[in-house]
Amino acid sequence: MMAIRELKVCLLGDTGVGKSSIVCRFVQDHFDHNISPTIGASFMTKTVACGNELHKFLIWDTAGQERFHSLAPMYYRGSAAAVIVYDITKQDSFYTLKKWVKELKEHGPENIVMAIAGNKCDLSDIREVPLKDAKEYAESIGAIVVETSAKNAINIEELFQGISRQIPPLDPHENGNNGGIKVLNSSMPGTRPCC
Amino acid sequence: MALRGLAGSGLSSRGPLDEAEAGAEGHEAPAVVAAGVVLQDDEEDEGRGRGLLRWDGFSAWLHCVCVVGFDLELGQAVEVIYPQHSKLTDKEKTNICYLSFPDSNSGCLGDTQFCFRFRQSSGRRVSLHCLLDQFDKDLPVYLKKDPAYFYGYVYFRQVRDKTLKRGYFQKSLVLISKLPYIHFFHTVLKQIAPEYFEKSEPYLEAACNDVDRWPAPVPGKTLHLPIMGVVMKVRIPTCHDKPGTTQIVQLTQQADTHISVILPTVHEVDLFRCFCPVFLHSQMLWELVLLGEPLVVMAPSPSESSETVLALVNCISPLKYFSDFRPYFTIHDSEFKEYTTHTQAPPSVILGVTNPFFAKTLQHWPHIIRIGDLKPAGEIPKQVKVKKLKNLKTLDSKPGVYTSYKPYLNRDEEIIKQLQKGVQQKRPSEAQSVILRRYFLELTQSFIIPLERYVASLMPLQKSISPWKSPPQLRQFLPEEFMKTLEKTGPQLTSRIKGDWIGLYRHFLKSPNFDGWFKTRRKEMTQKLEALHLEALCEEDLLLWTQKHTEVETVDLVLKLKNKLLQADREHLPVKPDTMEKLRTHIDAIILALPDDLQGILLKTGMT
Repeated sequence: MMAIRELKVCLLGDTGVGKSSIVCRFVQDHFDHNISPTIGASFMTKTVACGNELHKFLIWDTAGQERFHSLAPMYYRGSAAAVIVYDITKQDSFYTLKKWVKELKEHGPENIVMAIAGNKCDLSDIREVPLKDAKEYAESIGAIVVETSAKNAINIEELFQGISRQIPPLDPHENGNNGGIKVLNSSMPGTRPCC
Repeated sequence: MALRGLAGSGLSSRGPLDEAEAGAEGHEAPAVVAAGVVLQDDEEDEGRGRGLLRWDGFSAWLHCVCVVGFDLELGQAVEVIYPQHSKLTDKEKTNICYLSFPDSNSGCLGDTQFCFRFRQSSGRRVSLHCLLDQFDKDLPVYLKKDPAYFYGYVYFRQVRDKTLKRGYFQKSLVLISKLPYIHFFHTVLKQIAPEYFEKSEPYLEAACNDVDRWPAPVPGKTLHLPIMGVVMKVRIPTCHDKPGTTQIVQLTQQADTHISVILPTVHEVDLFRCFCPVFLHSQMLWELVLLGEPLVVMAPSPSESSETVLALVNCISPLKYFSDFRPYFTIHDSEFKEYTTHTQAPPSVILGVTNPFFAKTLQHWPHIIRIGDLKPAGEIPKQVKVKKLKNLKTLDSKPGVYTSYKPYLNRDEEIIKQLQKGVQQKRPSEAQSVILRRYFLELTQSFIIPLERYVASLMPLQKSISPWKSPPQLRQFLPEEFMKTLEKTGPQLTSRIKGDWIGLYRHFLKSPNFDGWFKTRRKEMTQKLEALHLEALCEEDLLLWTQKHTEVETVDLVLKLKNKLLQADREHLPVKPDTMEKLRTHIDAIILALPDDLQGILLKTGMT
């Protein structure tokens, strides 16, 4: 018997940093070199086990293009976590990341879990953002940080596991309204443990 | 239709990540395989292997989205159509323009939501979606698409804006669809329109993209429909559902509406709220709707007129209302002349209007419902007796029902008392609606069961079906024969309501609703006969038969069987699952027993 909790997660970050590729790797374990820019946002789900709960991630992968910027509040509104992505080979994308963090601090949900992903770590020979910078920054804002490669499937699972761990478990005795309880078949296809 | 996606939508093509959630919860329904599209049900692999071209997903739900604004020189005008390649004729555009705005000085300051229905221009190719046809057969009859009509779902905003020349911001976001899912689209608009008015173009683009990635509107499955940061969970009813039940599965409780919203219904309206101003006359209105009487609702605003008309059409469910109905009708409508002419008797339609002008134009109509502002739950307008039509003055007549109609059935005082008690006890409107809906359902079922029973008796006996003769015909519907059945097995078996049921049936048999209902039943039964005939054929030793007959007769049989197969497929005949396979085996066996030259021809012969 497991509780299933829906957790809204949004991905934010500059255009071309690989947000959609990270989601695609996480949900479908697949990478596509010729991915087209997202319009508005795309939506996918994936359920993972965490302790005695099932976390169903409702993932809103937002468009990085400037013209969709004003739509972002709809995606981080109600989000339990935000994955903010930059490209380790583009210093500019790290600046954009900081802008997103600022916006989340000002307008995002109060207890939102923030996870910073430095994507394209397979290209570290043309790196522009040192890992140290990212770690220091993440620490200063209380965020998780990890360098990822959607292409080579590095640290993608770990990124979401890290988020799952940061989500406070529900105490069913204390609050039954917050997340539902539902008996599920014991075998959830493809469910991987995360904790 | 699929090719439309290629014609310059102006948007980039679909990437693999667009393979968003098919929305099926892994444990509920079998995978749907439709026209080469596989909707995967596996929770962990919700990506949909979409062979569909861009916008096909969208057009399964919506025809298009329009933005109607007010131009100082042109008046109402369609400012934006999305997707850009959507086809609307000029006449349709004109109708949409007028129907998306309040018709008269009815105020409507702030935000208003309503719905309209308009006739598709003649000459337009009937645009039934190839996939949807398949879903249509599983829908309850009252939710099936009408190929001749579109629905328009409107979110209208009118606010003071000094920066504009007109002094007001006036704009409507309109969803045009074939689907009668009033509550669903109402909720979608409520979700997206307010932010659209602030964010404009990219917002609309993003919203339409979300819709394009929705799973197809399959009846009977819990669908997860992501839209602008929120997931809507809905279930479209099927014709196999027990009437009066809702079956949405709630897998998770989710209090936060920023994350997901569960809709208990896609099509139902808040019945009690709508009937509230005239609920004393609910049963009479039920009769008028059942009989397809010309009915006009005069309301202070389009939202009240459309809700009330939809509630009326809804109240005879599970019967379908077969005549035309217009939740909101204006003097600019292309059918205005046709429906308001004084030279003929008023047509069998239900119109919802707001323009005071109609009080004069439609004063010859036999039944008029006039309602004031719908009150919020808890308040109830003073109930008034039925009024004489001659008391209907042109402009400011009081709310009420104006008619000289004498109901056939005696009024059920029980339900009135129950509802009145609910009002006193401040029972929530939804609970009152449940009571009223159940009452209407029981009434409609009591009425229709004797007809169902009689029509079922028109079916020929099983033994009259012979594989070597054409399927037998249904017996004729004889009104007098039916009336005789009422003595013993009439509505008195299931309803406590007394009155002239016979008179009601006689009147009903002449109405468009009976006509539509009977045609539907007859079609179903004829198909059942075809199916039984087909099954009987399959049980025969067809090979033995061919040995006793000439080659010409055998070839004829093969062609006939092939046609039967095609028909069964096309019309989804309700045959037993293995029948089609059996028939194919028969055909192949017969062909193989024929000479080689004939085999070649018959194997190649397509079915005509």
